[in-house]
Amino acid sequence: MKNDLIDRYIYAVTKRMNHRIRDDVQKELYALVEDMLTERCGNAAPAEKDIRIVLTELGTPQELYAKYDENSGRSLIGPPYYGTYKLVTGIVLACVALGMTVSGLIIHFVEAQLWYETLLSWISMMWSGCLQGFAIVTILFAFFCRRGVQLGEPFNFDNLPPVPKRTEQISRWECVFSIAFCVIFLVLFLAAPQYIFGYWGAEKIIPLFDVDVLQGCWYLILIYGVLDIVRETVRLLERQYNRKVMLTTLVTNSLSVVVAVLWLTKPNLINGEFITHIEQIMEGDAAFIAEVFVNFQLFFLGIILFALVLDTVEAIVKTLKK
Amino acid sequence: MNTDEIVQGLVLELRRGTLILLVLSQLKEPMYGYNLVKKLNDREIPMDANTLYPLMRRLEGQGLLKSQWETGEGKPRKYYQITPEGQEVLEKTKEYWSRFATNVNAMLEGEI
Repeated sequence: MKNDLIDRYIYAVTKRMNHRIRDDVQKELYALVEDMLTERCGNAAPAEKDIRIVLTELGTPQELYAKYDENSGRSLIGPPYYGTYKLVTGIVLACVALGMTVSGLIIHFVEAQLWYETLLSWISMMWSGCLQGFAIVTILFAFFCRRGVQLGEPFNFDNLPPVPKRTEQISRWECVFSIAFCVIFLVLFLAAPQYIFGYWGAEKIIPLFDVDVLQGCWYLILIYGVLDIVRETVRLLERQYNRKVMLTTLVTNSLSVVVAVLWLTKPNLINGEFITHIEQIMEGDAAFIAEVFVNFQLFFLGIILFALVLDTVEAIVKTLKK
Repeated sequence: MNTDEIVQGLVLELRRGTLILLVLSQLKEPMYGYNLVKKLNDREIPMDANTLYPLMRRLEGQGLLKSQWETGEGKPRKYYQITPEGQEVLEKTKEYWSRFATNVNAMLEGEI
C-alpha cells in the first residue's frame, strides 16, 4: 500500500539506522502498518485519519527508533536524544581523528621528525583530542537530556520530511569530509600558521601568512570555522534540502562572507618576505605566479566568496525546486 | 501519587519481566509479529506492536529466534520461530518461573 504519510513516517524512523538493518526494518514496518490498517478498516480503503491513528499508536518516529536501538535507555543520555547523540559523537570523533592525522603528517614532513616522534605525538594528540571531543558532546547532551531541551520542533505528522529520492539526498560523506576539512583548517590556522603554504627558503620555512597578523585575527578564523561546522552539521542531520537547510545555509554563508571580508582585508596579512622570495625565483615566464601571490589576499577572498555564493544558490534552488 | 498510579507502575514492571518468556513460548511454530500481538491481546496480555517488533529483532540478534520472509500469498511478512538455543533458554526460564510463581503465590495467600 503506497501512502505518502506512511512513507515519510517510516523514513523518519529508519533514516538513522544502520544500513544493514534499515531495509529489513522498513519492510517489516510497512507490513505492520498494513496489518494494523486492515484490522482497523477491514477491506475498506483507509482514510487519512485512520492512517494517522495507526501511526500515533506506534509512537513518534524518535520513540520507535529508540525502541529498535539496543543501547537506548542504558546510558546517561536516553531517548529521544540518544540517536542524535550517537550520530554527533561519531561525526565529532571522525573529524577530530582525521584532522589530527592530517595535521600530524604535515608537521612530520615540515619538521622532518623521526617516525617514532610523529607516532608518539600523534597518539598523544589523538587521545587528548578525541577525549575532549567526546567529553564536550557528552556533557552537552547530558545537559539537554536532564533539562529536557527540545532538539528541533515537537513531533507533528504534518512536519514529517518527505522521503528524498537518492539523487536529492545530501551525501553523508560529503558533510563529514567538509567538517573534517574544517577541523584541519582550524588546527593549521590557529595552532600552526607558520607551516601554511610555507616555502622552504634558505634553511628555514618562510610562511605565506604573516604569523603575527594572522594570530591577531584568530577570532575571525574561529568564527569562520564554527559557521562552517554548524552548516554541515545541520545538513548531516537533515540529509536533504529543505527550508531549515536553506535558511541555515543563507544565514551561515552570509555571516561567513562578512567574516571572510574582515579577515582577508587585514593589511599586511601576507608575509612580505614570502612575496620577495617568490618574486626572486619566479622570473620570466613564471612571473604571473608571483603576481598571484602578490594579490593573494584578494585572490583567496575571491575564491571563498565564489564558493559561498555558489553553495547558497545551490541550497536555494534545490529547496525551491521541491 | 495516588495508589492507582502506583499499581499501574507495578503491573507494567511485572509485565515487562515476563514478555520475553511469553514471546519465546508462542513461537514454537513460525508466526508473524502482528499475529502474535493479536494472540496475546486475545488472552488479555496487552502488548504494543511497537514493543514486540523491536523485541523480536533483538531476540533474533541474540540467536534465540530465527526469521524468514514469506511472500507467497499477497503481502510479504516476516515469520519468526524459536531456535534450539531459544528453546533451551525458554525451558530453563520456565522452570525458574514455575518455582518462583508457586512461592510468590504461597506467600501472597499467607501459606508461608
